[in-house]
Amino acid sequence: MPQDMPPTGGYREVQYKRNVPARGFRPITYLVGMHLFMAYGYYKLFYGIREQNELAREKIWGRLHILPLLQAEEDRDQARRYYADKAREQQLLGSETKIYNSDRFVRPTFGYTPAKAHN
Amino acid sequence: MSRREPQFNQQNLYDPTPMPNGIPKVAEIGATSAPLTSAAYFIGDRCKAFNDDYMKCKDESKAGELECLKEGRKVTRCAASVIKDINTHCLQQFNTHWECLENNNHRLWECRKQEMDLNKCVFDKLGLKKTIPGAPENQTPVHLRPKQLYASFPGPQY
Repeated sequence: MPQDMPPTGGYREVQYKRNVPARGFRPITYLVGMHLFMAYGYYKLFYGIREQNELAREKIWGRLHILPLLQAEEDRDQARRYYADKAREQQLLGSETKIYNSDRFVRPTFGYTPAKAHN
Repeated sequence: MSRREPQFNQQNLYDPTPMPNGIPKVAEIGATSAPLTSAAYFIGDRCKAFNDDYMKCKDESKAGELECLKEGRKVTRCAASVIKDINTHCLQQFNTHWECLENNNHRLWECRKQEMDLNKCVFDKLGLKKTIPGAPENQTPVHLRPKQLYASFPGPQY
């Protein structure tokens, strides 16, 4: 029985490559281009962050300059309520109870509700 | 069913009892956040000694709500004097600047033009100057730069 042999001159070459032209620029162009783009972005970001730092400094110092003013107002309000509480206690109970074993001012947990609250 | 009407009670918790007579009265500053932000550096410039004194008192007495009332009154009076002087001499620039801040979410960098006018007026009339402590010395302070990177308007600010 004769065996199958390749045709004379060999088989035809099998076409496995796509016959499509390569689009665009060379790959190295894209790589370099991307890095240039990123470098520009970081360059701008550097100065942006520097300016953000300065703006933050400006903002916090503005706040620090009015901070004692705001704190003083709050303290006066706390003192006013504290003395009012003490006077009320004196009037109702006839004595002053020392709640804490300390002379330090302690911000009260519970506030006083005036009698005419539901109006 | 236990349902009740939703009701805010902050206003009910307000205690209107005045301060006892032994403590001197002082008018509160009465300005809202935008005018205070606008005038903050001038307050800081004129009232630095009072502010530092008050904060030192607070620090030394640990909390000092009752101990530092005297220093606190000085701080408030000084700040009120600054606001009063600005209102007397630079009212128009001051109003323009703080209204700009109010409209721009208190972003100082959006209002550089108005701020330059206000700073110039306040320096000429009252001699108070805006300086940012700790800023790098080899570059222009941020509030004097014509170009603000983060401003909505991209061009020179003034």
